[in-house]
Amino acid sequence: MSKLARTGTWPGILLVSGMLAVCLVLALALGPAPLSVGRIWQLLFAGPVPGDLDNAIFWQIRMPRVLTAALVGAALAVSGVILQDLFLNPLTDPYVTGVSSGAALGATIGIVLHLSNLSWITVLAIVGGLGTLAIVWMAARRRGRIDVFVLLLAGVTIAYLASAVVTVLMIKANQDMTAIIYWLMGSFSGRGWPDVRIALVTIPFMVLPLFFTREMDIMLQGEKRALELGVEVERTKRMLLVTAGVLTALAVSVSGIIGFVGLVVPHIVRLLVGPGHRGLLPVSLLAGASMMVVADLLSRTVIAPNEIPVGVVTTFVGAPLFVYLLRRGRRA
Amino acid sequence: MTTIRFGRLTAALLLVAVLTLGAAALSACGSGDDTAASSSPSAAAAAGPITVTDDSGVEVTLEQPAEAIVSLAPANTEIAYAVGAGDKMVAGTSYDDYPEEATALPKIGDFANPNVEKIASFAPDLVLAAGGIQADLRGKLEDLGMTVYVVDPKTYDGVIATIENVGKLAGTEDGAAAVTAEMTAARQEVQDAVGDLPAATTFLEIYGKPLMTAGADTFIDDMITIAGGENIGATAGSGFPNFSTEVLVQTDPQVYIADSGSMSEPGEIDARAGFGELTAVKDGKVYIIDDSIIARPGPRLAEGLRALAGYIHPEAETAQ
Repeated sequence: MSKLARTGTWPGILLVSGMLAVCLVLALALGPAPLSVGRIWQLLFAGPVPGDLDNAIFWQIRMPRVLTAALVGAALAVSGVILQDLFLNPLTDPYVTGVSSGAALGATIGIVLHLSNLSWITVLAIVGGLGTLAIVWMAARRRGRIDVFVLLLAGVTIAYLASAVVTVLMIKANQDMTAIIYWLMGSFSGRGWPDVRIALVTIPFMVLPLFFTREMDIMLQGEKRALELGVEVERTKRMLLVTAGVLTALAVSVSGIIGFVGLVVPHIVRLLVGPGHRGLLPVSLLAGASMMVVADLLSRTVIAPNEIPVGVVTTFVGAPLFVYLLRRGRRA
Repeated sequence: MTTIRFGRLTAALLLVAVLTLGAAALSACGSGDDTAASSSPSAAAAAGPITVTDDSGVEVTLEQPAEAIVSLAPANTEIAYAVGAGDKMVAGTSYDDYPEEATALPKIGDFANPNVEKIASFAPDLVLAAGGIQADLRGKLEDLGMTVYVVDPKTYDGVIATIENVGKLAGTEDGAAAVTAEMTAARQEVQDAVGDLPAATTFLEIYGKPLMTAGADTFIDDMITIAGGENIGATAGSGFPNFSTEVLVQTDPQVYIADSGSMSEPGEIDARAGFGELTAVKDGKVYIIDDSIIARPGPRLAEGLRALAGYIHPEAETAQ
């Protein structure tokens, strides 16, 4: 067991909160447009005022972008924890339920129909994601209960189907191909306050599972055992599935599909704080936010004024860290 | 056991070989007929081989002027029609929308996914390809015995040179000369008008989300410079790089031009995050330009160049 697990839940949460705070400060202080620390301090207290370019850079470009990244990272990590533990499958990420592919299909339809107003594309992505969740749900429901393995398979199948339709649309409306590819690649470039507002909707859905950590702990031992221990398995499962689905749909609709965070952050956090959800969920939430904020910081600064796709950065940062922790965890 | 299996394998291979040869022979007959049919009316302008160097630096040689041309990009189609080789065009892409006649041409697929079989079925004696994503197509087409000219100019004058070359290959030098004269005149006219004016910092948006621009070593960069602008995108490298919004706002261009067309719809530029503070927005110097006159390396760039000059130096036109 690691140090964090031994020291209990709260110190771990405080430590990761501190880490997130540092990441947020760095991400706000650093950017492709250099602003001095003194200037940023000044801007922070001035608030958003018109008529000043630095102010616009800080309040209208950098701030909403950093906040969107933090919220999307947190949502994907929480969704990853929920789904990995629900499916009892370590390879699960937020995208296996087909929600992201459904969202991609929704966004693609929006792009092909030339709803150039971006909020429409976002709305269609949310509708596509939740619609997919509903279909997968119906496929997995038998006699009032949800079979998670059928759900997993149905999710993967629907994901393939939705991707196939996206490909057909790309070929049919090939002048929109660039727009669709860029949407699918995922990015926080150009995200503003309207995107933050959508991402803020994830907060209640991230808080909700924190009230069910005991049930989630017990369900790790299997549904049967959980039933014997008096957990309302079906109700908990339903709540968790919808929560994870909504989190994924919202995250994907503002940022596109960004891989790796939802898969790897829960594993990294499990290695550090153990599988108990009272620590795992909040620490994953904060760590997911930190990782995405740092990944986006690197994506917009390393080769400025160009940008590296953020999904590439999450993988470059996450993969070595994960392999290192896996090796260390095995030795301990 | 092994001999039986080996025998079966040999039989299978033989069968495959026979079928392949048969198919090849058939297709050779077919294409032979086609070329015979389409090149029979030529013969007139036989004056020895024509050799030009294309935009990828490869020497392209035709024994006689092309009679059946396939274009793999809308710009190439425009060039062919402009130089007077429209009647020699046998196929184009599904994006071709100019001139009007080009829309009626048979299609070989689109710019990004040209169909090699389909191209071969027209038995062209000249294929006008593009650079970039079509780079590895040349080998395939040449293996099938086609002559390929790659249109991929990096400057405005490079476009003029390519138009001249296509004119030579199609045996329509006079038509090409008229087009290049007009393009050269547009250049001279713009240079005279903006010549002494200080360069205005200009951002040209190729794509809005994520933000992409025209970098150095592109004919668009060259045209911005000719039109009296200083291309901000050139600081981001060559080609068509993505560009940081923060850096854009900090650089604060005097002129903002967004490319619009089938590939991109810029939407409301002044409503974008942080754009309200831009000098270009405050001064009302935000323009939308049709991508077919700025992003297609063809004859209509003359029109695009004049438009750019008008956007970058609106005062120059009154001075003239």
